[in-house]
Amino acid sequence: MEQGVGKSWRDPELLWKALPSVLLQTTCFVAPLVMTFLLTFQRTRDFQLRWTWDLATWTDVFSKPHYWTILGHTLVMALACVAICLVLAFPIAYGLATRFKTLENEIKILVTFAFITDATLKTFGWVLFLDKKGAANYLLTGLGFPPEMVSFLFTDWATLLGMVYNLLPFAIFTLYLSIDSIDRNLIFAAYDAGASKWRAHWEVTLPLCKPGIFAGSVLIFLLGVGVFLEPKVLGGGTSPMSAELIRQTFETRVNWPLGAALTFVLMVVSVFLVLLFSRVLGMRRSGFGA
Amino acid sequence: MNVRTQDTLINIMLYGVMAAVLLFFYIPIFTLMAFSLQEGRYLTLPFDGISLKWYGELLNSGPALTALRNSTLIAAFATVIATAVGTTAAIVSVRYRFRGKAAFQALTGAPLAFPQLLLGIVLLLWFSVLGRLFGFNTGLVTAIIGHIVYITPFVMVIVAVQVHNFDPQLEDAARDCGASTWEVYRHVTVPLLWPGIFSAAIFAFLLSWGNFYITYSLAGSTRTVPTFIFSGIAVGSSPLYPAIATVVFIPGLILVALAARMRRARA
Repeated sequence: MEQGVGKSWRDPELLWKALPSVLLQTTCFVAPLVMTFLLTFQRTRDFQLRWTWDLATWTDVFSKPHYWTILGHTLVMALACVAICLVLAFPIAYGLATRFKTLENEIKILVTFAFITDATLKTFGWVLFLDKKGAANYLLTGLGFPPEMVSFLFTDWATLLGMVYNLLPFAIFTLYLSIDSIDRNLIFAAYDAGASKWRAHWEVTLPLCKPGIFAGSVLIFLLGVGVFLEPKVLGGGTSPMSAELIRQTFETRVNWPLGAALTFVLMVVSVFLVLLFSRVLGMRRSGFGA
Repeated sequence: MNVRTQDTLINIMLYGVMAAVLLFFYIPIFTLMAFSLQEGRYLTLPFDGISLKWYGELLNSGPALTALRNSTLIAAFATVIATAVGTTAAIVSVRYRFRGKAAFQALTGAPLAFPQLLLGIVLLLWFSVLGRLFGFNTGLVTAIIGHIVYITPFVMVIVAVQVHNFDPQLEDAARDCGASTWEVYRHVTVPLLWPGIFSAAIFAFLLSWGNFYITYSLAGSTRTVPTFIFSGIAVGSSPLYPAIATVVFIPGLILVALAARMRRARA
């Protein structure tokens, strides 16, 4: 997809246009990250940061299994969320790209709106719906079902529901873009060669949208390991995930070096897993640009 | 099974999944709308009565109105700056070929795949350390900066699609007719990119307006609608919160529909 005019960095046109975003992301994204990394080598005493430059924080992190149990739990939840999102998003993305011609725009508006509305509000809405005395049980009892049938609020299942709810649109959008860009003639060619619908689907469509599936999974996984609202509000804070642990370390314990170190562990482990998957799937070259 | 029945079956299945997922998406939204009509003080069923009482209450609630005003203020500033910066970044990353292009794209797109809570925390640390050096506290301004960092990549991606479909020869033609660089921008580039820029701006506004994680970390004691609601969930809430939610939903839906129309207009 290489297109465009060749430019040198000395060209003022390129410089003027590239500079704002480069400045923004270096001063407000890269620099803070570097500083966070440097903070992990400091200590904290009496709620004050001490610039000590040693490995005390890291020894602490590697000697407490508690942190690693929470990390493991977070990764499992994020992976489960990725799997569910892909299974749900595929038929929708496929339908939008190929079949829902008449309702396409309405569906897109409805999905976009659901995606863009405030996550706090929607999560709160789920609490009202799933509560023991909430809307779901009220409706079900009204229909003659036994009382309190829906009772999984404040468990991991509710957290997972909230995560899927908030991240599913990302999967729909990325899959839609990749299915939409498939050349339809390739699929017709498969039919001409005698392939059945399913066979064409498995051997042509799916492999061609592999980059989209990969990009969507990575996005959801990375966002999923960082959720804090869902475990707190829907999970009831009973089984904390990494983001909540990190937030507590900063806010309640006011231990910046430890919080910074835990942030880095989470980031490094997730990025490592993403790279591992991309190796396994042979996605090394295409990556995000797909 | 012949091809036609097979086709119908696939359609039924796809529409079925679609309908189920749309229902899933709108369950909490409708639940909130319904609860905003509860007359009584508590969020329990059955309702004591149906009334618009809590909407009236909302108009008299100081903190809620302040939160609405702060949200709008932050979103307005963040939208303008993020749209400008994101648009130029989109033009650079689609139109030009230069050394370090991959690095440029990675750098400008990175916050897109970065957990928001962690972005908020990392920025909070940064502003706390800078604040101690230069003597400022986190508040409205730091929240706006945080929103810009998070939203600019979204703008870049949306506008990039538009830039991609844009024929650069149109600019060359204008230049050949004697237009200056500025005139080419003013009369050719911006008008042609406008549908993309406009829908990106709406997207940016809504993302900023509904943002919880970054505001939560960076706004200091300033409350916006999402953080106000979050504090309400914790305290044990009244139908005031669903009422705010409903008020927030309506302009959002209008803006999304408008953005979709703009994008269709260009096609």
